[in-house]
Amino acid sequence: MVKAIEKQGIPVVHMCTVTPISLTVGANRIIPTIAIPHPLGDPRLGDAEEEKKLRRHLVEKALKALETEVSEQTVFTD
Amino acid sequence: MDLENQKRVKDLSEKYGPENVVVIIGGGEAESSGLAAETVTAGDPTYAGVLAGVELGLKVYHATEPEFKESVDEDVYDDQIGMMEMVLDVDEIAEEVSGIREEFTKY
Amino acid sequence: MSKLRVVHYINQFFGGIGGEEMADHKPEVKEEIIGPGLAINAGLKDDGEIVATIICGDSYFGENMDEAKETILEMVKKYEPDLFIAGPAFNAGRYGVACGAITEAVQNELGIPAITAMYEENPGVDMYRKSIYIISTKNSAAGMRDAVKKLVPLALKLAKGEEIGTPNEENYIPKGVRKNYFTDKRGSERAVDMLLKKMKGEAFETEYPMPAFDRVDPMPAIKDMSKATIAIVTSGGTVPKGNPDHVESSSASKFGRYSIEGVDDLTAENSETAHGGYDPVYANEDNDRVIPVDILREMEKEGKIGKLYNYYFSTVGNGTAVANANKFGEEIGKELIENGVDAVILTST
Repeated sequence: MVKAIEKQGIPVVHMCTVTPISLTVGANRIIPTIAIPHPLGDPRLGDAEEEKKLRRHLVEKALKALETEVSEQTVFTD
Repeated sequence: MDLENQKRVKDLSEKYGPENVVVIIGGGEAESSGLAAETVTAGDPTYAGVLAGVELGLKVYHATEPEFKESVDEDVYDDQIGMMEMVLDVDEIAEEVSGIREEFTKY
Repeated sequence: MSKLRVVHYINQFFGGIGGEEMADHKPEVKEEIIGPGLAINAGLKDDGEIVATIICGDSYFGENMDEAKETILEMVKKYEPDLFIAGPAFNAGRYGVACGAITEAVQNELGIPAITAMYEENPGVDMYRKSIYIISTKNSAAGMRDAVKKLVPLALKLAKGEEIGTPNEENYIPKGVRKNYFTDKRGSERAVDMLLKKMKGEAFETEYPMPAFDRVDPMPAIKDMSKATIAIVTSGGTVPKGNPDHVESSSASKFGRYSIEGVDDLTAENSETAHGGYDPVYANEDNDRVIPVDILREMEKEGKIGKLYNYYFSTVGNGTAVANANKFGEEIGKELIENGVDAVILTST
């Protein structure tokens, strides 16, 4: 889906946990996330506020990726 | 056949003796019905559950097969199964399940 | 000749540990033949026997690839096997990736003949086909017998160091390797024969299938995020509570388009996940963990982003056919363009 959408002219950032799959499939902007059952959250933190902070951090990274010119597939680590 | 049900069939079979157990299945098409039938006779063909490699050889029938249909109350059958019978490929299902039964049922 | 010693790798489901809720199961080894191992062992007959089975949770492997590989390699080494078999994984994505990764590691780092099996659309195939032998299977465990029938002969050949034939002959997924061989007809003659067949509309077989280059050029970056409209798309299966469109939990045939107008936060009351390929508990508690509606709404209010598009698009990425995923992407993309969306955040589980 990432490629089919980007092909039409809209930049896409893929937020996913198993980044090797995203790379093989061909996404251009990739953000690694927390875990498969909860990519943008972490129930292990036990605190809703902490989770929101974590989620915000990931979304900020994603927006940053969308604001970054890339010429090839890029995984945006910290 | 899902893992829970595999366990139930195995336990009941051990409790009452496999020759005393009949399994009636209600799958919506031939392939899934065949897999269920095979699971309780030749063993779980997906090798995922407790019946993997276990040849229970139980008697198994699909609810739309004549052996079952003819041994139950006609009105109750029409009421409960009549409508589904009209939309299922009853012949294909019967062929699949009876085929498995002929090959693998021991009792 | 003594029996070949085989170590078998399977996931938590086939290992009888549990379903998705046990996908974080750490690797363990049992000196038993378990699940599909029963079928494989029966197929090996007098040529080999499974001496140990390693069970590892699919999510654990996917989230801890390096440690998992290291731990499992140590386990395998202990048994000094002549052969390593992983799976079959069929269409299970994480399982296929794990099987591919561990098979490659055993082959390359331990020098032990290794093989796995999965459906051709499994992501593990594209990632590992070049380096290892992957038997081509059907797309579900209903094809277990068929898979084992193909897997065992090639596995034994690898273990015995015998010559391996073509993908067609041996039922493995093409590795992209070119082998030179002599044939009786000259190339020019074969080319003319093929052209004549093509012109006559007769069936012919290409000697070299063209690879499908399927990359998309990255689109330009957003210049001013505070003016941008961002849309959410997901393969994590988030849907309104009750799954009104009945998006399937696997092999999705559709995607949903759901309004988040006026919605600032996804909760257990207004949302759920339809995805059947991961433990849904955490998502169902709070689907913001799958699509960050709460954060994006806050950012919209703060002016960090121009607008959050009022609809999100959702499907289930569990065993979804590539052709379908492509179709969904096309339709979604069209609507986004028509509605002036500038960028997409796509989340996957």
